[in-house]
Amino acid sequence: MATKRKLIKVRVPTRERPVEERIHDFKEVNLGYDFVTALQEAERCLQCPPDYAPCIKGCPVHINIPGFIGKLLQHRDDPDRAVKEALNVIWACNTLPATTGRVCPQEDQCEKNCVMGKVGDKINIGKLERFVADYAREKNIDEELLLEIVPKIEKKPQKVAIVGAGPAGLTAAGELAKMGYGVTIYEALHEPGGVLIYGIPEFRLPKDIVEKELDKLKKLGVKILTDHVVGSTVTIEELLREYDAVFIASGAGTPRLVNAPGVNLNGIYTANEFLTRVNLMKAYRFPEYDTPVKVGKRVIVIGAGNTAMDAARSARRFGVEVIVAYRRGEEDVSARVEEFEHAKEEGVKFEFFLNPVEFLGDEKGNLRAVKFERMRPLEERDARGKRKIVGTGEYVTIEAETVIIAIGKHPNRLIVNTPGLKVERGRIVVDENLMTSIPGVFAGGDAIRGEATVILAMGDGRRAAKAIHEYLTNRAKNN
Amino acid sequence: MYRILEKKEIGMRHVRFKVHAPHVARKVQPGQFVIVRAFKNGERIPLTPVAWDREEGWITLTVFVRGKTTMRMATELKEGDEILNVAGPLGNPVEMKRFGRVLAIGAYAGIVEVYPIARAWQELGNDVTTLHATFEPMVVMKEEFERAVGRHILEPVPIDMNKSFPENMKDVTRKLTEKVRELLEKEHFDLVLMVGPAGDQKAVFEVVREFGIPMHVDLHPIMVDGTGMCGSCRVTVGGEVKFACIDGPGFDAYKVAWDELIARVGYYTDMERRAMEEYMKALQGGGE
Repeated sequence: MATKRKLIKVRVPTRERPVEERIHDFKEVNLGYDFVTALQEAERCLQCPPDYAPCIKGCPVHINIPGFIGKLLQHRDDPDRAVKEALNVIWACNTLPATTGRVCPQEDQCEKNCVMGKVGDKINIGKLERFVADYAREKNIDEELLLEIVPKIEKKPQKVAIVGAGPAGLTAAGELAKMGYGVTIYEALHEPGGVLIYGIPEFRLPKDIVEKELDKLKKLGVKILTDHVVGSTVTIEELLREYDAVFIASGAGTPRLVNAPGVNLNGIYTANEFLTRVNLMKAYRFPEYDTPVKVGKRVIVIGAGNTAMDAARSARRFGVEVIVAYRRGEEDVSARVEEFEHAKEEGVKFEFFLNPVEFLGDEKGNLRAVKFERMRPLEERDARGKRKIVGTGEYVTIEAETVIIAIGKHPNRLIVNTPGLKVERGRIVVDENLMTSIPGVFAGGDAIRGEATVILAMGDGRRAAKAIHEYLTNRAKNN
Repeated sequence: MYRILEKKEIGMRHVRFKVHAPHVARKVQPGQFVIVRAFKNGERIPLTPVAWDREEGWITLTVFVRGKTTMRMATELKEGDEILNVAGPLGNPVEMKRFGRVLAIGAYAGIVEVYPIARAWQELGNDVTTLHATFEPMVVMKEEFERAVGRHILEPVPIDMNKSFPENMKDVTRKLTEKVRELLEKEHFDLVLMVGPAGDQKAVFEVVREFGIPMHVDLHPIMVDGTGMCGSCRVTVGGEVKFACIDGPGFDAYKVAWDELIARVGYYTDMERRAMEEYMKALQGGGE
């Protein structure tokens, strides 16, 4: 069985739907691995020991990556068993692998330090994780595994409330439920998932996959109350009376607007509104779905982060011209490389060093053009290491019927107004254990960071679950 | 899932639902609203709890049939059915204090939203006069108002079948502004409140402004989430961008950028009409 390992330098590719086909719909772009190709990619892994493996260190929730890849290799003759054991390894640290395998910026996380990168391509960890989750779901292997895990959970008497059903809240919920706590998530929208449901488009993360991943959490015993707006339907103080601990994971849902005249003209959306209409409300299927959205013949997206790419690529799928206008240069684009490339492939145009100064409308209050100032970079760099920019005094006007503003978000205001909750610049302040200024109330994800990534939020969720477990264990001992 | 305990047509195109929603009933205050999603492929629409019972856990919502969603709710939902989602309470409660003599105006179905506010203000010791301007067959809640406030004035406008609907609506606007002027000329008021279409709010505001009386308006911009995360409902108030769902829905009428609001509420009119037409076609074609 043990053959001498040969280095396979080149990554086994995953299939992608051709551009001309995919820009007409919202179905997933990347088709992932099947068992044969997954094994080929898995075989490239050098199987570094877990206490050393740099990929594990790069993963914010520290999945035993060589461990799950090893299970695939070990049971190559029995795909179902291989996947089941691999999934078991992943679930120890991450209950949402179908999601993270798709949306994590692996190039900055697990894959960043992969040793294979020194001699060839890094291992495609994200797509392997996704393969395990997808195969397990299609064959109901995840259900089987759940049935084995759930009866072994030892129920604890304490209850934990979680505010927000986004990545941070869902991760914490999964971890706490596995520890045996009674977990209830309070979610303001009508569907759980947070940014996974309303923000990230179907073509990157199909919604039925998120829904199925959430079903698993429910089977672990997690209760999800939708339509409950914490801060209004119920307050943090009230939750503290009913629960032993609270985890605030309400995200950064308040959009930032461009501070320029005309910003309230018709046709100007925040990325949050545009993506919520398109993803959560499925406005791209109007009138089969009731929520409308208007996408003009030319759309300008302002900003160049992942949200901007999502908005631009979504708008492209309405068959219109899309321009991303960014006030900095191409090297400053903060979106994932894969998304930036996908956007370019799909025909999204990019204009750099343009800063919007005014939105121009017609007599009906509809947008007709955007006036930009041309910017130029300086040698000097700002705190984030980006080149500073200054205006040139030169202006350019581009006609457009739709603008989507994607320049960032702030934490939700409804929650940060809780009395006694220490907040700085709109973000909830926490200590090294993610505990807020209110004892027993923890916080994580974008609510403490401002706008960050899905996986950082999940890392916080996992840390918070551990911290809550320690807090409740100590409290029980002292009583 | 929220059970419909009662459903009743209280006037032409006005349907009242009594809905089991204890999480809202426990907390709601006058001036607040909820976001409702009634159907699986449906949209989220803002509605206002008109009455509630905190112990029994119900709220009432009155739907004015004006487009596809409200039409579907009126025709497809029956007593005992469930509404998929009722999120709330949302928005800020109105200020609860003694203003003195208050004129509270409702145009069309706006009057149902005036009810919880007017009633609470009256109970607090204010002398509240309510004014309802609408089409004759759309007069609703007359008795409730007569019981709840000091004086209830009705301005029913007949529908002229020879005129277009927009022309008929102009009659309501004219009648409304005339009546408000008459009242303000004859009597003293400390505060005016108004709920209704943005165009009528603006028209009434222009009369009230001549008298210099403080005026509070509940605004109805287009909403999606209702929790401050999208900015669909943004309005300019006092030169600043505000989100009506979390900063409002109540604002000082003197500070609202009216023309911008009026333009924004009309943005989807063509798509709304299309949705309604296709629904009507389906109803006629597929008829049960």
